[in-house]
Amino acid sequence: MIKFNPKLSQKLSYLLLCVAASLAIVPVLVIMFIIIKNGASAISWEFLTSMPKSGMRKGGILPAILGTLSIVSCAVAITLPIGVCAAIYLNEYAKNNLLTRIIKLAIVNLAGVPSVVYGLFGLGIFVTLLKLGVSIIAGALTLSIMELPVIITTSREALNSVPYSFREASLSLGVSRWQTIRHIVLPNALPGILTGAILSIARISGETAPILLTAAAFYVPHLPHSILDQVMALPYHLYIISTQIPNMPENVVYGTALVLLMIVLTMSCIAIVARIYFRKRRKW
Amino acid sequence: MVDKIKVENLSCYYNKKCVLEVPYINVVQNEILSIIGPANSGKTTFLRTLNRMNDLDITYSRKGEVYLDGKNIFDMNMENLRKRVGMLFAMPIPLPMSIYENIVYAPKHLGLVTRKSDQDVIVEQALKGASLWNEIKDRLNTSAMKMSGGQQQRLCIARILAINPEVILFDEPCSGLDPISTAKVEESMIELKQKYTIILVTNNVKQASRVGDRTAFFLMGKLVEIDKTDKLFVTPQKKETEDYITGRFG
Repeated sequence: MIKFNPKLSQKLSYLLLCVAASLAIVPVLVIMFIIIKNGASAISWEFLTSMPKSGMRKGGILPAILGTLSIVSCAVAITLPIGVCAAIYLNEYAKNNLLTRIIKLAIVNLAGVPSVVYGLFGLGIFVTLLKLGVSIIAGALTLSIMELPVIITTSREALNSVPYSFREASLSLGVSRWQTIRHIVLPNALPGILTGAILSIARISGETAPILLTAAAFYVPHLPHSILDQVMALPYHLYIISTQIPNMPENVVYGTALVLLMIVLTMSCIAIVARIYFRKRRKW
Repeated sequence: MVDKIKVENLSCYYNKKCVLEVPYINVVQNEILSIIGPANSGKTTFLRTLNRMNDLDITYSRKGEVYLDGKNIFDMNMENLRKRVGMLFAMPIPLPMSIYENIVYAPKHLGLVTRKSDQDVIVEQALKGASLWNEIKDRLNTSAMKMSGGQQQRLCIARILAINPEVILFDEPCSGLDPISTAKVEESMIELKQKYTIILVTNNVKQASRVGDRTAFFLMGKLVEIDKTDKLFVTPQKKETEDYITGRFG
């Protein structure tokens, strides 16, 4: 058997681990580089603010941008209050009984369902059964169910990060449990909850499968009027123009990808900045 | 001599394991009852039973009765009970807000004050009662987290005084403090005795002898002896008590 020099093997393993960690940067840089290089030329004010023309090959992607934004904002408006309330219940009130265990199990399982299954579920329940049709609201409901476990989990982490002693101090003064939550726990957990919410916005902005069957349309000649409208959505639009339309100019495809990427990255950056800001303001 | 608190046949359990048995203890109005004993003797459990803080712990259960002014505390509304029986923890726990807000926090949410001018009065009285006013009256709006440990602990006393309780429970209030801060806290305790009934749990036998009117000795979850402080320290009836206060064990 060959005996390695201990110093050399230390160096080798350090190198190996460091390379493995650095590999995470590579795909990010490559993706950004390719998309920006090929797509930057398509980006213009007109591209962002006008309707598609000549079978999507020219013109802009405004309806897709607006469609994605409206689906996502509806989804967050639905999922955030429910998720935060559920997290407060689980973290502050729930006793360790059968109901609690079932809820926790359900949340874990909800997080593990593939996104296309959510799409089919949304099609079955919201579009067909509740007769909402293929619409913003059907897509938003589908996305909000998908995002619920993530919001609950991040909100619970945020609530947990508030020291237990604060609750004890407040309760020991005769202040009720709800007032303690309302005035001590929530204000101190809010930064964490918000950061989680923003990150989940970023995540669902790019989801394709759940809205494919519930909200997105191939082409809509007008901007969305109500939440019962079908809309174009960026991820789905991207899929269509890159696979379904012949003679599609390449820079438009990359340009669309770039816009989607920028929306997602902007959200993540806002979350990071918010986290830094709140961490500095934190008083304990 | 009126009994403020009366404890009868109390036993406390964590996970069904008995950690404390007290056949009978009374606390007289306007006295300081010190409770001494080694770690794990059930002192803190006893204290946290009196304002039902332990009810938050799901592994905790109890038998027996505790009466406050003749009324069973286990039949009372928990918030009302804790408003009447304040508690100071071993570690100072200022809430993450300003000194001023820390004090008006509970009165505001209990609906005791609404007007700003009343709040100012409460803050001043509470801080004076905890002998803290002169040190910090010029920086009431700074964060309470920035005070020293001794000041934080006195702020916590002030916070309790602001809700005007009847009984105050001190759970090893000086365990993290230096001797001078300790002296200040003890000083305020003796002053507070005029208005409040005080139960003091302490690891420091000398502290019990300095401030306690009566002293109880707990050992391994049992009440061993309770008597006037002078008597308990000079002529203890039980051998365990003598061993503990003379430092022969523990």
